[in-house]
Amino acid sequence: MEWLAGHDDTIFLGQAVAVPGTAMSNTLTGIAQEKLMELPVAEEMQMGMSLGLALAGQVPISIYPRFNFLLLAMNQLVNHLDRIGQISNFGYSAKVIIRTSIGSERPLHPQHQHVGDFTEAFRLMLGNIQVLRVEEPEDIFPAYRQAYERKDGQSTLIVEYGDYLSEK
Amino acid sequence: MIDADGLRSFEERVAQAFNDGKIRAPVHLYSGNEEVMIKMFQDISSRDWVLCSWRSHYQALLKGVPAEEVFSEIIAGRSISLCFPNYRMFSSAIVGGILPIATGIALAIKRERRVERVHCFLGDMTAESGIAHECVKYSTNHDLPIRFIIEDNGQSVCTETFPTWGMLASSFENCSNSKIVYYQYENTYPHAGAGVRVQF
Repeated sequence: MEWLAGHDDTIFLGQAVAVPGTAMSNTLTGIAQEKLMELPVAEEMQMGMSLGLALAGQVPISIYPRFNFLLLAMNQLVNHLDRIGQISNFGYSAKVIIRTSIGSERPLHPQHQHVGDFTEAFRLMLGNIQVLRVEEPEDIFPAYRQAYERKDGQSTLIVEYGDYLSEK
Repeated sequence: MIDADGLRSFEERVAQAFNDGKIRAPVHLYSGNEEVMIKMFQDISSRDWVLCSWRSHYQALLKGVPAEEVFSEIIAGRSISLCFPNYRMFSSAIVGGILPIATGIALAIKRERRVERVHCFLGDMTAESGIAHECVKYSTNHDLPIRFIIEDNGQSVCTETFPTWGMLASSFENCSNSKIVYYQYENTYPHAGAGVRVQF
């Protein structure tokens, strides 16, 4: 995350990005506060705002701490971000990096609304957003670097394992 | 800038093309709001962003997109989501879809201390949706460079907006929020098409 934060055009947004709150928050503690935008709980608004930020020239890293929460942003994800090329006759493109995780189960199991892995379903629904599930911690940095450096103007959804955030 | 007669005649041309079967996609036409739209665009600069719903021909013309360019996009079937990046215009055919996108653009402008503004057009039903209230609240409280222009014709497709919500009028009528512009108009065209109803 520090590598991403080192670029002038990046901004991190979501819940528990500028304050503690989730296992993911711990990965952002070394980042300057001006790069972190704490948002209210408004998942669809967050995804739409991420697209708007990208249209205006920024590279948002839009954080949804658990995959189940990302479901609430599906309208913006499927109908707008994924189809931004087609609906604009390929006039607009938007590079958003979406960060989520398969919810952690240890040391507390948060039960069945917090541990979903919808990777394959998202791959079926998203024709233009690359969906990457990083299987091991060493895969994480290359995934984010690829998402930021890509030249095709497309977005990337990166799925991490929540348990790794505190265990590996 | 195109005048009221020019706007009306453009929509009439589209209507004719649609009724002649030359457009194989939905069109959503304006009428009855030409003067107010022209006045609205007197406060919109070329560097500003304009975001619209599926009904956006007037905005494209008033933003300065050449009429033939707009018309060719309509003929190509893209009336429902007209986008002209060179004119900073973006449209979406999903109810409420543009609102958070507009909010995000406005946030980027504010963060980078740019002088652009965002003008987001929405209908009366969209204005009552949850995403509208979220975006208006966020934009107002963070003083983003945006205004939401609510165009109230009392209808959403064929549904009457306010009776279905159990309301007498829009939440934004007589609103004192400087981010809100509200006006009413009567559209003589149907929600979609140009008089000859095509169910889709």
